[in-house]
Amino acid sequence: MMRKLFAFLLGALLLVGIPAATAQETRELTFFLTFVPNIQFSPVYVALERGYFEQRGYVGDAPLNVVIEHGDEPLGVDLIAAGELQFGLVSGEQLLAARAAGRPVVFVHEWFQEYPVGVVVPDGSDIESVSDLAGRRVGIPGRFGASYSGLTALLTSNGMTEADIDLEEIGFNAPEVVCVGGVDASVIYINNEPLQIANRAAAGDCGDVTGVRVFPVAAAVDMVSNGIITNESTIAEDPRLVSDVVYAFDAGLRAVINNPAEAYLISADYVDGLPLDEPLRAALETAAARQVEWLAENPTATREAIAERRVALLTDLQAQFSSNSLIQLEVLLASIELWDADRLGFSELESWEQTQAVLLEMGFMEAPLDDLSSAFTNDFLPGTAQG
Amino acid sequence: MVSEVRKTRLGGREGAVIARVLPYVSWLITPLLILLGWQLVVSLGVYPEFIIPSPAAVLERGVEVIVSGRLWENTQVTLVQTLLGLGIGALSGVFLGYFAAKNRWVDTLLSPLVVTFQSTPVVAYAPLLVIWFRDGITSKVITSALIVFFPMFLNTVVALRNVPPSLRDLMLSLRASRWQMFTLLEVSSGLPIILGGLKVSATLAVIGSVVGEFINADAGLGFLIEQARNAYDTPLVIVTVLTLALSARLLYGFVEFLEGRLLHWQRRGSR
Repeated sequence: MMRKLFAFLLGALLLVGIPAATAQETRELTFFLTFVPNIQFSPVYVALERGYFEQRGYVGDAPLNVVIEHGDEPLGVDLIAAGELQFGLVSGEQLLAARAAGRPVVFVHEWFQEYPVGVVVPDGSDIESVSDLAGRRVGIPGRFGASYSGLTALLTSNGMTEADIDLEEIGFNAPEVVCVGGVDASVIYINNEPLQIANRAAAGDCGDVTGVRVFPVAAAVDMVSNGIITNESTIAEDPRLVSDVVYAFDAGLRAVINNPAEAYLISADYVDGLPLDEPLRAALETAAARQVEWLAENPTATREAIAERRVALLTDLQAQFSSNSLIQLEVLLASIELWDADRLGFSELESWEQTQAVLLEMGFMEAPLDDLSSAFTNDFLPGTAQG
Repeated sequence: MVSEVRKTRLGGREGAVIARVLPYVSWLITPLLILLGWQLVVSLGVYPEFIIPSPAAVLERGVEVIVSGRLWENTQVTLVQTLLGLGIGALSGVFLGYFAAKNRWVDTLLSPLVVTFQSTPVVAYAPLLVIWFRDGITSKVITSALIVFFPMFLNTVVALRNVPPSLRDLMLSLRASRWQMFTLLEVSSGLPIILGGLKVSATLAVIGSVVGEFINADAGLGFLIEQARNAYDTPLVIVTVLTLALSARLLYGFVEFLEGRLLHWQRRGSR
């Protein structure tokens, strides 16, 4: 009787143990992304699909099983700061504001090398420089986030303040509001809304607007934009994990820069409603295959040569497809221009100082950080000692 | 048997004193217990202080924003939106509810729509309202009015349908006019249920107003919470949430007071 009971208990224990053992085969890691699934997150999608997160294994341990979680930035930063999550893509100014409020978060890969915000004006407008915005109605999604920081930086660098313009909160509706003449200018993401407005104008669906001009913040100030953040305890206790995640993202980013047609096709599985009918899919598959061959034949191709290939890709597709079909691909290509650099992911102290100065000007920070250089590190980038 | 024991234990003057004091003391005891639990969580370091700040840090931040006037400025905006939303939503709910209760066709046309909208979370359609009625407080007032409308409409329909037929027959036998039927019977009889709906609506109105502020605003308690979150000012988030809770409780208390005044005849009758 006792033997039977023992055998039963042993069997039950084994049954309970099996799922636990299976679960230990991979290491779960949640990667936090803001907003909603979007073509701009293609480096993460490519890294996932290509298996870059699993490629280096994990200290001989279980490979990483990465899942994506979307949410708003402050929530993501707090979850990472509290150790509930370990990695996410967050803006530089959020990181500084969070550190100023005692959150132990650190920037480990500067994804956007150029600040993506700017001010758009219709082509025929008499606003020819930032200083011409004085007294004019300027739309903005709201007095928060990168748009607000960017506008403050742009105005400050031109000797102006918010009081000099008539700032109107319009939500994320700049194309609609600009097209109906609701504002004279609008704060936008330069890799997105100007393309949408130009697209509408080309289709005759944007009132009197025939085209747009953009004043990029990056032309005036070098501020830190989005990148990977983690927490101090992960860096201290698990540096190999940090370098593996940075490696995977960096590899995904390089793959997108080198072959945007392939990245677009991969992203279609993650982003609902991405324009991709059969003819476009076939054209992108052909272009992606050609690019793979070209890269194999030109292993030392320069940034400029690859950039020319991207321009040629768009020109070729524009001859075959409507601008509506290509709008998201155009967003991706415009974004790549903001990501591409000689040293992907590299952060400079000067950019952080300028970002901090803007946050202080805006009143989002009360005092400068004691040690600004602790807010970021380049130590985990591929090719460095820890990377 | 059990109730006898209780009667003995709490009987006489002691029981009466406890019964009278308990509602007031519970106001103090419950927050005190929450405060103690909160401090315990902070002291044990269950979460870092930037996630759950201490009661003292929240109190300090609260005093700062009260003294600077920032809290009151934003509370005023939310209260104005809430009161307007509550007024518009309650009046239109009662008005249309009355006709739905009286007319089968109106009921058939409106009720399915009302039930469908009531089961749709306000956060789902609030962004559309913000786009459609963009300027100033309009979108927040409409969000608030819509969230209030549904319970007021349904409670009014239920209230009027619950008028005892015997009383209706009595009024008819006394040749009461339509106006007399309305004022002397339907209002008096339906008021307890309608005021019950108004109590729920008072708290819902605050939610509607704040949801609109979360989406797009430049003032109000919802806006202040968003600002505090973006500045990682958790103590201010808690101060603002407590202010919201207090505002909703005060509105609820006001309707309770109104109920006491308007339904005093009911209590007298039940004695």
